[in-house]
This record gives sequence, structure tokens and C-alpha cells, in this order.
Amino acid sequence: MRLWNRLRSWLQATFGRARMESDMDAEIRFHMETFAEDLVRNGVSREEATRRARMEFGGIDRAKEECREARGVRFLETLAQDIRFGLRILRKSPGFTAAAILTLALGIGPNTAIFTVINAVLLRPLPYANPQELVTWRSNESQMDIDDIRSQGTFFSGGGGVNPELLTYTNGPEPLGIHAGYVDAGLFQVLGVPPMLGRTLSPEDDSFGGPRVVVLTYRFWREYRDSDPNIIGKSIGLDENQYTVIGVMPASFAVPKNDVDLFVSLRVAYPEAARYRGVHFMSSYWRLKPGVTLSQAAAGMTAIDARLAADYPAEEKGRHTVPVPLQQSVTGDVRPALWVLSAAVCVVLLIACANFASLLMARTAARHREMVIRVALGGGRRRLIRQALTESMLLAVLGGCVALPLAALCVRLLVAAKPAALAHFSEISLDPAVIAFGFAVSLLTGLIFGLAPAWNASRADVSEALKQAGRSATASPAGHNFRRTLVVVEIALALVLLVATGLLIESFARLRSVDPGFDPARVVAIGVQLPNTRYHEIPKQIEFRRELLGRLNSLPGAQAAMVGDPPLNGGGLTHSIVFEGRPPVAEGDEPDVDTFCVMGDYFGVMHIALRAGRTLTAMDRENQPLVAVINEALARKFFSGRDPIGRRIRWARETGGPHWMSIVGVVADVKQYSLAEPTDPAVFTPFAQTDENWRRWMSVVVRMPDSSASLIRAVKQQIWSLDSQIPLNRVQSMDELLGLSLAERQFNMSLLGLFAALAMILVAVGIYGVIAYSVSQRTHEIGIRMAVGARRVDVLRLVVGQGVRMAAVGLTVGILGGFGLTRLMTKLLFGVAPTDPFTFATVVLLMMAVVLLASWIPARRAMRVNPIIALRYE
Amino acid sequence: MGKQIGLLQGTLDMLILKAVSLGPLHGYGVLLRIQQISKDRLEIQQGSLYPALYRLEHQGWIASEWGESENKRKAKYYRLTAAGKRRFQTETEKWNRMAEVIAGILHTTPEEV
Repeated sequence: MRLWNRLRSWLQATFGRARMESDMDAEIRFHMETFAEDLVRNGVSREEATRRARMEFGGIDRAKEECREARGVRFLETLAQDIRFGLRILRKSPGFTAAAILTLALGIGPNTAIFTVINAVLLRPLPYANPQELVTWRSNESQMDIDDIRSQGTFFSGGGGVNPELLTYTNGPEPLGIHAGYVDAGLFQVLGVPPMLGRTLSPEDDSFGGPRVVVLTYRFWREYRDSDPNIIGKSIGLDENQYTVIGVMPASFAVPKNDVDLFVSLRVAYPEAARYRGVHFMSSYWRLKPGVTLSQAAAGMTAIDARLAADYPAEEKGRHTVPVPLQQSVTGDVRPALWVLSAAVCVVLLIACANFASLLMARTAARHREMVIRVALGGGRRRLIRQALTESMLLAVLGGCVALPLAALCVRLLVAAKPAALAHFSEISLDPAVIAFGFAVSLLTGLIFGLAPAWNASRADVSEALKQAGRSATASPAGHNFRRTLVVVEIALALVLLVATGLLIESFARLRSVDPGFDPARVVAIGVQLPNTRYHEIPKQIEFRRELLGRLNSLPGAQAAMVGDPPLNGGGLTHSIVFEGRPPVAEGDEPDVDTFCVMGDYFGVMHIALRAGRTLTAMDRENQPLVAVINEALARKFFSGRDPIGRRIRWARETGGPHWMSIVGVVADVKQYSLAEPTDPAVFTPFAQTDENWRRWMSVVVRMPDSSASLIRAVKQQIWSLDSQIPLNRVQSMDELLGLSLAERQFNMSLLGLFAALAMILVAVGIYGVIAYSVSQRTHEIGIRMAVGARRVDVLRLVVGQGVRMAAVGLTVGILGGFGLTRLMTKLLFGVAPTDPFTFATVVLLMMAVVLLASWIPARRAMRVNPIIALRYE
Repeated sequence: MGKQIGLLQGTLDMLILKAVSLGPLHGYGVLLRIQQISKDRLEIQQGSLYPALYRLEHQGWIASEWGESENKRKAKYYRLTAAGKRRFQTETEKWNRMAEVIAGILHTTPEEV
């Protein structure tokens, strides 16, 4: 009620301004005239009465001013006035203004950019219905498992699975490998995103022998079907089959972790796989029933795991399902890096803010006299603080205005260079939330870091200042101490950031020097997928492979071989093995090893060193004794010290058999999944001896005499001359694969390096500012010192010593802080301890160099002080 | 006319509320009423009267409207609002308590301590 009254009164006063002024005039005039009339009535002359009335009333304008203030109208006016005055002042010192704005922009811009990414990746909810209810797990499932869990897991309201499979899209100008999501109908239901056109898979569609129907993603619909609005009911060719389009998903829809172009039912497109319990190849997604907690679901899944293991020991014994929230699972890989990066930009922002505050303090000192005069003329303290704050806020807003385009630029760079882990998040852009964030940061910065200088400014002591009379007013020592403290804090923060960067650089260098186990130079890997319909039988597959290798090896200079999954392309396959002559292992407990089928001289082409025995040859073919080559990791783990050559192994739970394979050779370890991880035990067998007809994918690896594109063209032509309908995907050089496996670390390292460099520059500017200011304040003193015999080197020591003292404190604090904080980034490091003394020492030396440089420049000026001029300079 | 004393900080508002509680008054009337009640013992800065009136009106304790004065001129009249009346009561009580306490302290003789 009272508030409303005040608001109304304020609104009336502000917007009925003219009316209020005339009322006020009339009221005061009435007062004085009536007073004068009363005096006249008491016998005073009219002239004298008017004079006394005016005198006794006091300052009319001041009274009016106070009336306006009482009604609150002064607020907006003062603000406008302050802003105008502030802008004028800022224009008058362009150097200071530019420095302050740039400092803030450099702090806020990168911060906003990183916040944009964090917002898109970690904060924005996933584009599914009630995403907080969705969970998934790291382990994969077979379609039969998914069905079992769906029927037994009473705590899930739904669930579904997906597995991307390369199919050939045959409606295009040339055969095109596209990623089909083999799904079950539950997937669409659990994610809860309605289709943009048509419908999604119904349970009737998703049944053995059901109709061949397909749901397209928005991207596929746009790129390959020209956004055809009448697409529903049309048919598209996938491999040798025609599928009818029943729906198109909206642009925002993507399967959580896979890149998929369209969706078909696994039961329809690949019924054998759907009936096979043992191969866990589908990622599965589940929705918790309302009110069910994650730990309840975990307990429930443990029970289901136990039941499945008891019912199907051969296939399900190794189950250990840990449900995790989908959001966490999707962002898990980038999370640590993003937090470290955001900590880094916060450090940069803090340093920028400290510099900003320091600049304002220096300026406050320089404007000391102005403040004194304003206080002497009756400027109220609150008014002065407000003016000073208005100025710092103005600077902050201007800084924000410069920071936003800078942030947009940074985001563009980030997205352009985005590592694979970010690739999934298509929509990383500045949105209103981010822009609001940027401005909020700017305003807070202006407010918080402008407050101390403003406070200081308002403390101008008139009598003290007047006592100093004509002398150049010196800043309060308190103010200067505050600035020195800021610089010390900056040095400490920058040191931590530099150490973090140093550790990443060191990790990267160590990782790059890791031996991948093969020679990537001039080797190209070309992914080939044999269509199921025409290459269902193993003899046809072998025939194709053998013919292709023959042709490729006859190309001049080329050396070609084949492997199921080449190193570092992300693929891999594991099998369980049994050793001959060892005590039997319970079903389901057999050790898992990586398994690769090869053809041709794979080890020779890749330059993988042979450690014992022989490699596989063309003689290791059908109807010959089964052979295998193992890697050193397997020999170490399962034959510790004994000679594995001649021993026999077989696949666990093979059909028919037993098919014992003799170990004929041991090869060096190859980094298959990442340079940072140790190599798993692996078994290499000839493609010609496998009885698994689903091994239809492979990579042709070719070592070329030079890295020319013409040879790659020739290789492609050879493949298509054998079968024009075979889709080729991912032609990548091994160097490229190696680089890609390091890309994310390189990305993190470069970003952190950039921020560290920024921090270092800002700190250098901060130190320079403080020391240069102190030199300018002490010119007189330095003059005296020189006059009484100080040498230039003494002056140098005086000035640089100041910087060194600040650095000593800052670096000590920074080292202690660094020891505590770098532990948090252990996950991002490789082969280097978070407290690596070498890194710390290097960084400390670097910081010392920066401090010396930043204080040497003003020291040089101090050494050039001419005592005669300095003493006269008053 | 005895010696005038200056106003204690913050008391002008209370005096204005008291003055207008006896009936609507224009600004000059408020001055006269206070001088009359105080028997001219208080010194009031005429110029400070209006900011106080504006402040009280802004807070909703008094309301104003234009009327005609005794000398047939247009004048702005202030009257006490219901909120103002309550405010005046609590302020009076507070003042009385305060005065009592202060007086008690000032009248204390050395023996009583």
C-alpha cells in the first residue's frame, strides 16, 4: 500500500513534471506573499516585508531541489546527468578508457564463449520429453536382452535400443554408405519425440517378417530427398531392398550417442541379429517411472543381471549394469575438460577484473584533487560514490558491448575447431541466455570492482588535501597497497593457469612420443562394407577380398592388405578365448581379447614388428591348419615367460568344433583405441579361415610410394570395377587417424594455452601499471635520491625490487594453490604428475621473466629522471 | 518572546503531522500553527518546511489538494491520512518514551548512581 503510494507519487512527479514544478512555484510564492502581507499588516513597509520574507524563507532553489529529491524525481535526472558526465570524462581520457574497456572485453569475451559451450553441452536439457527421467548404461545389449529387461524391469516405463549399421543407399548417383539405425519400436516411445511428418515405428512394424518401412532423420530428408513434403509412402532403396517411408523426424531429433541417417526395425532388416542373444551390440535407453530413483533402478538392474546370468550363463555371465543419467552419459567425455576450461576463463576474468579495479584506483588517485574540490563545494558522499560507480558501470557496459562480438568470434572458432566430443552438440551459438550472462558479468564486474575505488574516491579529505596546498596530491597509501595486493593475486592466479597449461603441453608431448606400434607414414585406410544380400556366404567374401588385394598389389608402388578394424579408427571387436591344456574355466568366465581378421601382409604393410615366430601368409587359407598370431600383451598376460609358439587356442562357445588354432607368431603391441591406453591382448586370424559370415566390413590399408590422391582414386576404381555397388566410406590416412585421436587433447591444450597467454599479458599490464604509477608518484623522491648520490643501478634496484617483491609473494601463493588445484585435472593428464616439479619450475621462471620485463620498462624511465627537473617539478 | 531553540533532528516531521492533525492547513498555515502551539519558542527554517511536506506526502502520511485560502487565494492544503494518523500515534509514543528515558538519565544525581 505504502509502496504503491510512493510509486504513484514518483510516477506523478516524474511524468507530470511540468505540473509539479508549477505547483511548487505557486505554493512557495503563496507562502512568501502571505508572509509578507502579514508583515505589512504589522506595520512593516512593503519593500522591507518582501525582503524579510525572502530572507527568512532561505534558499528557494535549494528548497525546491530538496522537494524534488523528496519525491524521487531526482533519481532519473541524476542518473542521466551522471551518465552524460561520465561519458564526457571517459572521452577526455581515451587511453584509460580504451585500456579499461579492452581489459574487460578480454576477460568477459572468452568467458561468455566458454559459457556458451557449457550452456549448450552441460546445462541445456537434452531434446527429449522429460529428459531427467532418461537413463542409459555403458554396456550394450542384444535385442533379446532389451526385451527381457523391458518385461522384467518394473521400474522402467519404457526402453529401446539402437545400433548404427552401414547400409548402401541406392537411389543416389553412386552407391552411398549411410548409417542406418537398427532400432526397436521402443526407442521412439522412450525418447518421446513426435515425428515431424507421418509416424514412427509401431509395434506391428517392429515384428519378425513385418513390412519394410523406414523413418528418416531431418538431415537425410533434406540432403538426399530435397525436403520432399510428399515423401510419406514413397520408397527408398537400402542395400537390395526397398523400404517405404512412414515418417520424418524433426531437425532437433538425434539419437543420443550415435550419428544416424534413418531408422529401420532390427527385427525386419536383420532378423538373425535380433534372435541372437550373445552379441551385445545395441546401445539402450530407458525411462524411469515417475518417483523411481536412480539407485532403485540400479538395484533392480542388479537383480535382473543375476537372473539373466543364471538363465543364460554362456551369454550373460559378465553382466554388470550401472544405470547413469543420460545427460551425464552424453556429456561425460567433455565434462572434465569443460570444467577446467571454464575455471581457466574465470581466472582470466578475475585477472581482467583486478586490472580493471587497479586502473580505476590509479585514476581515482589522479582525480584526487577533483574529488577534494567537489567535496569542498558540498558534494555529498553518496553522490560522489554514485558518480564513480556510474563511471565504472559505464565502462563495464561498454566492455560488455565489445566483449559480445568477441565472444561470438570465439564461439565460431571453438565450433570450427570442435573436437569429436562436441560434434554431437550441433547448436552451439550465442543465445539470449548467454548474452544476458555476458551482460550480467559485465555489470557485476563494474559494480563490485568499481565499488572499492568509488569508496576510496569519496573519502577525499578536504582539510588534509588543502594542507598539502600546491603539492601534487598523492594517492592514499591504502589505495596503492590495494593495487599491489591485486597484482599479487593476479600473479598467483596466472601461475596456476600457466601450470595447468604446462601440464597439458607436457602430457601432449609425452602422448605424441608414444609408439603407436605401427608406422603411419603414407598409409591410407579405406573402409569397405560388403552388402549382406550378395556377400552372405563366406566363400563369396573371400573371393572378393582375394581378387581385390591381387589387383591393388599390382598397382605400381602400392602395398595393400586388409584388416577388420585398423588402429585408432574407433572400431574393435572382442571374443572370449580358451587355452588348450589348461584347467577348464566356467562358462562365461573366459578371458576377453581383441580379435582382428586380416588378409595379405598386414603386419608388413603397417610395419608392425614381428617379435617371435612368423606372420600370416597366403598359405594360411581355407582347408589348411587353423593359425593365429597374438600380440605381446597377450603373450605377457597369458604365457608369462613361456614360449607361446605352437600352443593352441580356440574361441569360447564356438559352433561345432572344437576348432583349435595354433599360435604361429607374436607381434608388437599396437595402440588400437587410444595412445593413452595400454594395449589389450589381441588375436589376429586370417579372413580366409573365419567361419563368421557377419564379418563383412573391413579396411583396406595401402602403403603408397607418395601421398598422392591419384593412387587413392585408382584404389577406388579397382574396388568399383569389382563391384560397382559397394559403398566406400572413410578414406583416411593413418596420420590423420593418429591426429584425430589426439585432436581433443590438442584442442584443450590450445585453448588453455590461449587463455594462459591472455592471463600473462593481462598480468604484465597490471604489474606495469602499478609500477609505472608508483614511479610517476615518486619522481620527486627519485630526484632527491639521485641528487644525493644514488646511482642509476640503485634506482633500477629500487623500482624492479618492487616488482620482484610482489612476484615473490604472488608466486609463493600461486605454487601452493597450484599444488592443490592441479590435482583436479588428473583425468586430462598423461604420463605427468599434477605436481610435476619441472613444469612448476619452468612456469615460475617464465613468470619471473614477465615480472622483470614489466617492471624494467618503468624502471628505465625512473633511471632517466633528471634530478634538477624532478626537484623543480612540483 | 523567549530565546528560540533549534529543532532536534527528525522532529519537524512530527510537528507537521501534529499541526495537520488538527485540521487541513496550507504550508504557511503549518508554519503559523507550529509557531502558535510552541508559543514561538521553536525556530523553524521556512525553507525546510516544504521538503518535509513533500516527503511526508510521498510516504502517504499526508495528502494534498488545492483550495482557497482566507485571503481568497489559491493554496495547497495538506491533511492527515489514516496511515499518517497511525504513524503520528506511534511516533508520539516513541517520543514520549524517549523523552522520559532521557529526562530520567539527565536528572540522575550522583547519589543515585
